Parts: sequence; C-alpha cells; structure tokens
Amino acid sequence: MRKAMKLVALLGLVATLSTGCAVNRATGSVDPSTNLSALKTMYVKRVAEDDNTYNLIADKLRTKGVTVTTGTDAPAGNVDAVVTYIDKWMWDITMYMLELTITIRDPKTDFPLATGNSFHTSLTRLSPKEMVEEVVENIYKGAK
Amino acid sequence: MRAVVLNWLAIAAISLILGGCASPADRAAMTPKDLTVSKHFPYSLKVQTGGGAQTGAMDSSNIADEDLKAAIEEAVVKSKLFNTIVQGNDGDYALSVSVTSLSKPVFGGTFTVELETAWSLTKLSDRSVVMRKSVKSSGTATMSDAFAGVTRLRMAVEAATRSNISQGLRAIALLNL
Repeated sequence: MRKAMKLVALLGLVATLSTGCAVNRATGSVDPSTNLSALKTMYVKRVAEDDNTYNLIADKLRTKGVTVTTGTDAPAGNVDAVVTYIDKWMWDITMYMLELTITIRDPKTDFPLATGNSFHTSLTRLSPKEMVEEVVENIYKGAK
Repeated sequence: MRAVVLNWLAIAAISLILGGCASPADRAAMTPKDLTVSKHFPYSLKVQTGGGAQTGAMDSSNIADEDLKAAIEEAVVKSKLFNTIVQGNDGDYALSVSVTSLSKPVFGGTFTVELETAWSLTKLSDRSVVMRKSVKSSGTATMSDAFAGVTRLRMAVEAATRSNISQGLRAIALLNL
C-alpha cells in the first residue's frame, strides 16, 4: 500500500514539473513573399557543438539543386540564403534527435524566408538523416 | 510517515486532475491586452498564418495557425491599426505571420518559452512587400502562476505570443502606408 502511494506521489510530481507526453509532429512553411526555387546558393551556418547535422542539411539541400557551403562564421561571399538550425537531443537507451528546426533566412536581414520542424519522441524516433530529410521535404512542399 | 505519504498522495491527485496532457494555447489569452499603436491605417487587412501546430492529446502546448490568426485579428481590431479585417482574397494589405521556432522546456519549475515569428506585409494592389521582419519574444510562467506543469507551459506560450503580436503590430504601426 505504501509503495503504491509513493508511486502515485511520484506520478504527481512528474505531472507538476513536466510539460507533456509522447508526440510526433512535422511542419513546414514558406513566407508568401518568398520564391524558394530562386534561392540557388545557400550557406549552412554550423552550430559550434554540432559535428554532423550541418553536413546532413547541406547534402539534402544539394539534392534540391542548391549550391551549398558551410561554416561557423558569417558567409564569406554573396549567397541567396543562410540556413540555421536547432537540433535537440534526448537520451533513451541511446541518444536520439528529438527535435529539429531548420530555417532558411535572408542573408542581409535575417528574415525567416522558410522554416520546417520535426519532433519525434523515443518510440518513433528517426535517424538524424531521416529527420533532416523530413524537415527539408516539408519546407519544399510548402513552396509556391 | 503516513501523514507525509498522504500529503504527497493529495498533491499527486490534485496535480493529475489539474494537469492532464493536452493543453493548446488559447486564442483569447494570446491576444495582447490594451495594445495601443501610434497609427490607424484606413485600409483593410487580410491575415494569414503558418508554421503552427495543433496540440495532440499526448503533446505539450503548441500554437495552432487558426488560433494565432484569430488572436492577431482581434488585436488589430482592438487597436484599430487597420480599418477592417477581411477574409478570402480581398483586402488592401495581406499580413503573413509564420511561426519559425517555438522553444519550450520539457521539465522544471519556472518555464520560459522562446518564440520567433516571420512577419511580412504585402500591398495587394501591386504585390509589393512593404515589411519583412523577424520578431522574437519570450514568455515565462512560474509555479505561482500554475501548479500543474502543462498549464504553466501553456501560460508561458501564451505570454510569448502576446508579446510577439504586440511587437509585430507596433512594427507595422511605424510604417508609412
């Protein structure tokens, strides 16, 4: 009986401190004033701590006919867009990518021209490559 | 010892009842209160939104496109920034607001949510883009705001959205249309 009470109390604590449960979500949108197909050169701005996601994003964008360069600083030359991303990782037996947001920005104003987001919790986790593919495909699906 | 356990049990029961799982951001709570702007444009406005997401039964609070649209429209009407709101393909100007990123904590006491949206305003008669702006905002809710985590997160999302809408509409009010 006492164990059961403790279990319920623990559940209550989790309900108090946590924000939600399991979910899968994938969205993508392009600003109506943006012609995504006109963006032929992009620069993927690498997050300093990241060792591979930026490469996966660059490779996926290349399959869309975009010439892609990467780096951690501001782009050296003129590009049509700068690509930023936020990848969130979680541990459940192994590390996995919980959420990925990719944003294609105007290089001069930082305005978000297009954005995509995927969120998959542990049981339906995707590999980083699959996450990148899903997000980029959803962005291009939203293009005019 | 038994009293302590019973106390925890009571807390657990209350938090589970008050908490639940799904808790979408409420459109009325996302509408800025008492927003004043420096200009009142004699034009009609069409509002469209994107990048948001529905809140599933097992999800944490999200901003639904239709709720964000309703909150922006309500704020425009209340502030009298534009003369009228129109639906469909009519209107003098079209405002597009897309949720670019919504960063939410998954655990903790005080929740701070970071929101970035892309605002673009287009003059429909000649399709000229008169404003493009990235609007960043944040919203915080503490344990004193709500005991249940899901409620606290929803309140933080709503606060971030209110701030975001205020900033976006004030930026439009600075334009000369």
